[in-house]
Amino acid sequence: MKRIVARQACLALVAAIALSCVGWPADAQTGAGADASFRAGKYDEAIAAYRAGAAGPDAPATAARGLVRALATVGRYDDAEQTARSATAGGSPELWNVLGEVLAERGKLAEAESAFVSAIRGRATDSLTARLNLAILRFERGERDEAMREFDHFIDVYNRGARLTAEELMAVGTACRYLGLERHEMVRDALKAYDLAIAAAPEWLEPRVRVGELFLEKYNGTDARASFGEVLEVNASHPRALVGMARLLLFENASGADDLVRKALGVNERYVPARLVLAGMAAANEDYEAATREARTALDVNPASIEALAVLGASRLLSGDRTGFENARRRALERNPRSAEFHATVADLSARSRLYREAAELAREAVRVDSMSWRAHSVLGMNQLRLGAITDGQRSLERAFAGDPYDVWVKNTLDLLDTFDGYEEVRTERFLIVAERKEAALMGLYAGELAEEAFARLQARYGYRPAGPVRIELYRSHADFSVRTVGLTGLGALGVAFGDVVALDSPSARELGHFNWGSVLWHELAHTFTLGASANRVPRWFSEGLSVLEERRARPGWGDDVTPGFLIAHRDGRLPAASRLNEAFTRPTYPEQIGHAYYMASLVCEMIERDGGIEAIRAMLGGFRDGQTTAAIFRQVLRTDLERFDRRFDEYVRQRFARAMTALGPGESGGPAGDGRAADGRRNALRAMANAGPYAAAMAEGGDHASAGRHEEAIAAFERAKAMFPEYAGEGSSYRALAAVHKTRRVVRRAASELQALTDIDGANHGALMELAAMLEQLGDSSGAAAALDRAIYLNPFEIPVHERLATLYAATGDRAKAVRERRAVLALDPVDRPAALFELALAHWQAGDAAAARREVLRALELAPNFERAQELLLTIRRGGAARVEAR
Amino acid sequence: MLALCVGLALPAAAQQAPGETYVLIVTGVGGEAHYSRMFHEWAIAFGDAARDRHGVSPEHITYLGENTQRAPDRIADRSTREVVERELTRLARLARAGDRVLVVLFGHGAGSGPESRFNLPGPDLTAAEWAALLGRFSGPTVGLVNAASASGDFVAALSGERRIIITATKSAQERNEARFGRFFVDAFARDVADVDKDGRVSLLEAFDYARREVARTYEEEGALLTEHAQLDDDGDGTGTAAPDGLSGDGRLARAFHLNSTARVIAGADPRLRALYEEKQAIETRLDELRRRKDSLSAADYEQRLEDLLVALAEKNLAIRELEARRP
Repeated sequence: MKRIVARQACLALVAAIALSCVGWPADAQTGAGADASFRAGKYDEAIAAYRAGAAGPDAPATAARGLVRALATVGRYDDAEQTARSATAGGSPELWNVLGEVLAERGKLAEAESAFVSAIRGRATDSLTARLNLAILRFERGERDEAMREFDHFIDVYNRGARLTAEELMAVGTACRYLGLERHEMVRDALKAYDLAIAAAPEWLEPRVRVGELFLEKYNGTDARASFGEVLEVNASHPRALVGMARLLLFENASGADDLVRKALGVNERYVPARLVLAGMAAANEDYEAATREARTALDVNPASIEALAVLGASRLLSGDRTGFENARRRALERNPRSAEFHATVADLSARSRLYREAAELAREAVRVDSMSWRAHSVLGMNQLRLGAITDGQRSLERAFAGDPYDVWVKNTLDLLDTFDGYEEVRTERFLIVAERKEAALMGLYAGELAEEAFARLQARYGYRPAGPVRIELYRSHADFSVRTVGLTGLGALGVAFGDVVALDSPSARELGHFNWGSVLWHELAHTFTLGASANRVPRWFSEGLSVLEERRARPGWGDDVTPGFLIAHRDGRLPAASRLNEAFTRPTYPEQIGHAYYMASLVCEMIERDGGIEAIRAMLGGFRDGQTTAAIFRQVLRTDLERFDRRFDEYVRQRFARAMTALGPGESGGPAGDGRAADGRRNALRAMANAGPYAAAMAEGGDHASAGRHEEAIAAFERAKAMFPEYAGEGSSYRALAAVHKTRRVVRRAASELQALTDIDGANHGALMELAAMLEQLGDSSGAAAALDRAIYLNPFEIPVHERLATLYAATGDRAKAVRERRAVLALDPVDRPAALFELALAHWQAGDAAAARREVLRALELAPNFERAQELLLTIRRGGAARVEAR
Repeated sequence: MLALCVGLALPAAAQQAPGETYVLIVTGVGGEAHYSRMFHEWAIAFGDAARDRHGVSPEHITYLGENTQRAPDRIADRSTREVVERELTRLARLARAGDRVLVVLFGHGAGSGPESRFNLPGPDLTAAEWAALLGRFSGPTVGLVNAASASGDFVAALSGERRIIITATKSAQERNEARFGRFFVDAFARDVADVDKDGRVSLLEAFDYARREVARTYEEEGALLTEHAQLDDDGDGTGTAAPDGLSGDGRLARAFHLNSTARVIAGADPRLRALYEEKQAIETRLDELRRRKDSLSAADYEQRLEDLLVALAEKNLAIRELEARRP
């Protein structure tokens, strides 16, 4: 394999030549002032200086080149083209290359090609760059083999040891970058050449921009940031560096990309890469009309841009305009019939909008067109995994990784897939539950039962039935869940639904007792139904809102509930209008806004159902399935326009929480810090109420009385607070305070009643549930105690004593099936005394009337402990077919 | 050949010879007051359990402690190197074939390989020196439990015929405070470890209980497990983390109890004695069947298992009925 060789000896010479040079293609004759202005982003000054330098018959070519490039940089493409053409009219070959570059930026590819050829034939001083540009042109129209041969030639140029200018070294680097598409090792050579270009002309910014792009292309955010940062430090208005930095922020899922892009557009409002970033962001925000507008603006400048055609095609496809998509595809394939880029980009954007099946099909087409498109293999593999095709997905990702071992998403995902050997599958009627071996039996038991219940209820609600078994993946490591979801660690979410595949944190991935995995599973399964009923076209706000609503319907205390923070945000106008709710999910304007968005979305759905019933929800999902816009669906189904709906919703919130809003103090306008939904809510709620309002005042008064032992007065104050804000059961709530006072007074029944009310609102309060269970047991309410413990299992399923207590309670209340479940749970937790656990399970089966299962389990117990007296008794009883004489412990 | 097979097939209860049990408890240097107190509490609890719950004769229990003033009535002497050597020499002279000797060490460890040490007041004894002392026992089965940190290399150094070596850690590199001792004591002091429900706790059961509880506490705390207990009783010098007692390591430990049913059987009346012998025969057949499990179909195995278990249950019932009728 041909590679560029180290040439340390030459470097000093190259540097010595180039150090005197500044500006674009460094040249001492160009006038330091013009170059300095250009480099600093003072483009108008640079244009004037270059123009002055380029005037006259003996003017240096570098001045004219600088002028053309400066004009192009600010978007004056016609002026740039005209200037270049004028300069070439005299017969000099020196401006043909920059003319070609301007023409290529405008999509005038045939003319650009002709210009590059002229530069090469005329042996212009920048003919090597022209040769590179010509090769890129060929590559982009599908003449891949010829282009690659040309790129390969640059290695020879470098290795011949000729003195190369910084511009030529950058050309070598870019050629290596293309060669790296097929031979990933060449990426290092590209970097080496760019570094030499930087060393040769340290003040020249362009090689640093290329280095940043190369790092970003290879998923190295840290080094990309450093490179773009170096450029922007010198020239804060460098459009290409600004867009590079914006792409980096998007890559890192950080905010601020749009500001950078706007800044780039401030320099050149026709800058195609900037428009395409905006288009991609709009598409990710499910604003396909805005994405279409941006893509068309880009195509007005460069009608040959495949990336713009891809974003346009994706936007049209995602908004249901199949014809528009096909038109864009036809244009892209006319431009380059061998390009995977169009399909891979559309696939990528489709997947971002949850159209995973379509994404996989598009990626498959991309792979068919270009089997060496590692990105297409990667997109295909990721979406195959999202569809549950694990083996196929792994194969695609391995192919992608072989071609591009820098792809951190692919590497992380392959590493995760390698651990699947340690996972077990548990099947139920309609689900396949996949969990690490250590907890598969236990989680299969509960997740399976809960999922089956959810299936039946959600099917009845939405009139939709998923076709195949729904795959539920549970991860004991949050990092693994994160990789499964987005290919990277650090995802803040708790669960994800791809449709018939859902993945979520196992309870062991989180602090036990604080994470309601049952509620999250229900939430994700609700997505399975709303995604399915809408052919995955439901907007995010609607799907999330319905999922939270379904959580609340599933069990008391599940799903997000109103928080003081939410009410304060509403009061302060920090929540988006209902019709723009999607933006709060994709581009939250304050840290906890996404958490507020989940709850708000659920309220929107709640109001729609209140007014139109589940039929309205179903009709809306059907409308999205059929490709209708939100506005059209609101008109047809809800008989309203978006503006009126927003007003109605605002009024709904005000009415519903009128009492609570008056109970709150001024609060903290900024709201508590948090990482979105997971951190939002009750735990931080008290801070939001810190500035005393009537609720806080009543609670403080009650607290004073309680501290002084004036229980009656304390109860009166806490009851007053409860009446003001009965929905609040978070930290420092009236319920908790009342329970404590009643407990102190030994009035267990009333203490239990408060805890019952608290946990009916906040079902994630493990301590309260356990305390409630103990109190109810003390009061002789076995059913109530069992119900409380059953809810606690969804917060911490790993405590053997809790399962044993539950088994005893269920046996006492005659719920034999659940008693068996609890005994199976004990066994799944691998107790030290396994024979005893097996015996108890056998006994539970026997008492439930299942003699065969009882026999099987008691034999397993006695196999381990042959002289286990109680088990022997049960065995003999079973053999004799007698009554269950053996009693539970 | 036949005799050897029968001997190996004997179930735990039948293997237990009607000999005596001798227990030597040694606590080392605590270093800090709370360690000294903790090791002493473990030693007392273990001694009490051996005496009160497992029928070991009080005069057969010796406790050598770091500080005799802590409990002059319980601590026989200071646990110096000389005293430990003297006591083991005495036990070696006393214990005969069929007897059981259990040495339990609570404390800290250091060093590695044959030079691994259990920290005693004054000069330590190295693993090689402990091995030499155990070499003085010619007849009895000897169990040594080193519940100290960094104790793992004792396995290779002390391994031998009729020896059960248990260490709290896998190697000398696991130097953090070991929790194994606490749960090993619990296994004998509480009703938690008699997994085979024979009314007694074997060394294997105690080991298994302790190692699992150690792992559980680490997991509950979300901490990385820094001690991996080992057991060696097949004399190969290599410990096993989770012996099953059916093959390799664990078979000897499975049969090692502090008390003996054989003595009960020996003292029974002829009818009861016959029932016990029949019961032991069934247990032997059960052990044989369990070892052949992989060579049988599941249904065949289950049927044979059930037949034997029913026979055993009926035999136990008969024994209980007969015992209940005895004056």
